[in-house]
Amino acid sequence: MAKGKKGSTGGDGASGDNVRLAEVGQSLFVKAVAVGVIALGISLFLGSTENDGWTRWSHSYLVAFVWVMTIGAGALWWITIQNIVNSHWSTVIRRVGELIATNAPVLALLSLPVVLPLILGKPIMYRWADSSLMTGDLAHKLGYLNTKFFSIRFVFYFGYWTWLSYYFLNKSLGQDKESKEAAAKTVVTMRRLAGPAMIVFALTITFCAIDLIMTLEPQWFSTMFGVYYFASCVLAINSSLALSLMWLQSKGRLSSSVTVHHFHDLGKMVFAFTIFWAYVGFSQFMLQWYANIPEETLWWKERFANGWGTLSWVLLFGHFVIPFFGLLSRWVKRSRKALAFWCIWQLVMIYLDMYWLVMPTLGTSDVPFKLVDLACWVGVLALFIAGIAYRAKNLDLLAKNDPRLPDSLALENL
Amino acid sequence: MSDEHKKSPAKPSEAPLHGLLAEYDTPPQLVQAAKKIRDAGFTKWDTYSPFAVHGIDDAMGIKMTVLPWFVLCAGLTGLATAITLQWWTNAVDYPWIISGKPMWSIPANVPIMFELTVLLSAITTLVGMLLLNNLPLPSHPLDQVRRFARVTDDKFFLMIQASDPKFDDVETRELLEATHPVAIEAVNEDHTTDDKLPSGLVYALIIVAVASIVPFALAAKARYTKSSSTRIHIIQDMDSQPKYKAQRENPFFADNRATRPAIDGTVAVGDARDDDHFYKGKVGNDWARTFPTEIALDEATMDRGRQRFGIYCTPCHGQVGQGDGMVAKRADQLAQGTWVPPSNITQENLRQMPVGELFNSITNGVRNMPAYGPQIKTEDRWAIIMYVRALQRSRSGSLNDLPPDARASLK
Repeated sequence: MAKGKKGSTGGDGASGDNVRLAEVGQSLFVKAVAVGVIALGISLFLGSTENDGWTRWSHSYLVAFVWVMTIGAGALWWITIQNIVNSHWSTVIRRVGELIATNAPVLALLSLPVVLPLILGKPIMYRWADSSLMTGDLAHKLGYLNTKFFSIRFVFYFGYWTWLSYYFLNKSLGQDKESKEAAAKTVVTMRRLAGPAMIVFALTITFCAIDLIMTLEPQWFSTMFGVYYFASCVLAINSSLALSLMWLQSKGRLSSSVTVHHFHDLGKMVFAFTIFWAYVGFSQFMLQWYANIPEETLWWKERFANGWGTLSWVLLFGHFVIPFFGLLSRWVKRSRKALAFWCIWQLVMIYLDMYWLVMPTLGTSDVPFKLVDLACWVGVLALFIAGIAYRAKNLDLLAKNDPRLPDSLALENL
Repeated sequence: MSDEHKKSPAKPSEAPLHGLLAEYDTPPQLVQAAKKIRDAGFTKWDTYSPFAVHGIDDAMGIKMTVLPWFVLCAGLTGLATAITLQWWTNAVDYPWIISGKPMWSIPANVPIMFELTVLLSAITTLVGMLLLNNLPLPSHPLDQVRRFARVTDDKFFLMIQASDPKFDDVETRELLEATHPVAIEAVNEDHTTDDKLPSGLVYALIIVAVASIVPFALAAKARYTKSSSTRIHIIQDMDSQPKYKAQRENPFFADNRATRPAIDGTVAVGDARDDDHFYKGKVGNDWARTFPTEIALDEATMDRGRQRFGIYCTPCHGQVGQGDGMVAKRADQLAQGTWVPPSNITQENLRQMPVGELFNSITNGVRNMPAYGPQIKTEDRWAIIMYVRALQRSRSGSLNDLPPDARASLK
């Protein structure tokens, strides 16, 4: 990642930029809420026609939720890592990352349809919540897999994410009004916290992924599962940031601050984590495939049979091989349209990946893609965007007083 | 050494002009100067700085490097090499089944494919970068310029070579002056330094290259010639131990045998197997038709038998003894013609066979089934037979054999 020219006199580009969403944010909020409510309403109607005690709908919703969580949790990771490494290049886009990360409370609200039935003792998807089914070797897992501990963990995950993201946002907003010296000190304060905070974050994202997805099949386990989900988080946030900035610029915001060089860097991250996803995914697969132990391979057997096998191949090529060559060229990462195409492509692939993780537990031999999946997906995404728009509309989209801003504005990338 | 070097060093002023060097204080000045020289149409010139100056490529009009294409080709070559190598060694030249996977098992090959792709890409990046930059460069006329030493510290330089077709002593100097450098200096050709690699280094490299052939030559020689001496045994492990193995010669004893036969009239501890029914499955001269009294005919023995059957018998005979175990299936697949298929243990003649004879088959083996006597304890062999009898019985079972509640679940 290239650093900006030190000591060069940037900053002119930012002064003229429009950095408030204002009425655009308000109209986005209204539209997103409307779309979200309608789409979720449709999904609930479609779910009720299944007459299966909401099983189908819950799974659809879970896929949509863990997908949108890759963006939300990914954003928190992203701003934390920028603080840890004292990144100069990303300063112009960090505020946008902070605004996405502070959507953690909205994520917590969106998680309720998944979590509430469990906490209320009426599990729809997670059969470990019925301890009478957890016999034999599974009984050993009851110490971890019980609704009480699960609730405590969940409150901690979202509580921690909310606290950490708001800490960074508030510090950063406060910095906007500070003197030069104080602003420089704020940078250091945020950086000091970011290191330890990252360790706790790594644990929360790992266990959150395990709790929400891996425990759907309580007999199966993979020690790499947290990293596998994390790979999608990083991929999702870098893609989302690139797309968000393109949208902002199309609305005349941050027009001259964010340049082709920033998009190029985001594109590199999307490319790198496309490879990382494949690396982790394959490692997870190969260890279990080679050991060939029944309680591990069963999970894969479900996913390599019939229609799920086709989806596995789609993921191998669609999530890795094709975008690998697609994103390889420098030209692609610097072309707005080409980069937008691959970012959307990868976000769709992440959705298919989540689908592939969650849905086989329904026990169907074919990929049961239905309209209810699409309705849940659109609904959850729209409400997620509404949360961001509501908070962002009256805040600056640029950390204008950050001492690293001139470097970031002058970023040049080969 | 050439004659030139025997002469006393030539004074710089006597050597022909190599180029004009301009010095700048900051990167932006260098970039501005580079743009002017680029626009003036010079081709043989370069800029020098302590670190990468962003935008200098554009300012100098340097085209994108072709290196990425080399790296892409090298990466694909690595990938193809890894696939071909593993396919040829695993599936063609030396086919070998490893942990029940197919001969050519692509998932197992992926780590090597990944490593070779990365390795060749990385080496090509490094070597390609050096070659495209004409590195390593043992000497350069600029090495003689004192002020140029600060290029690794805080100064920025630009030099136009005298060999450039557009170069003109006066005009070029004026052009450089127009870029507001801190200083301009004429750089002369340098005949005092040898611009070849040091001869010691060259000889060392040749020696290393030749020496690296030696191991391969030795391996080739060993492969195609015969020798009466034993192989070189570098790592001894525990290959040679001062002890006698069974069936070997030992001149210490009169009969020269290392294995000592039992002394007449003695029995080793645990070897007194005088119960023929229990140990051989025989009653008198006939196969026993009942279980020996040592075996308790109860649920525990049946469970033990089921478990032992699962461990020792299912690989060939299958889960319920139909002769369709994994080994049998694999042998059928290979169709090599030498395989005697395992029996279906529930077939009629085995159902009629006395338990003593079954016991004998397990203990001593039959056809290509090996002897299991040495592996399975005597009690367990009887327990297996008990379970085999249960499997046989299950084949002729009827609905009435089931307990009433289980019967209901089948209706």
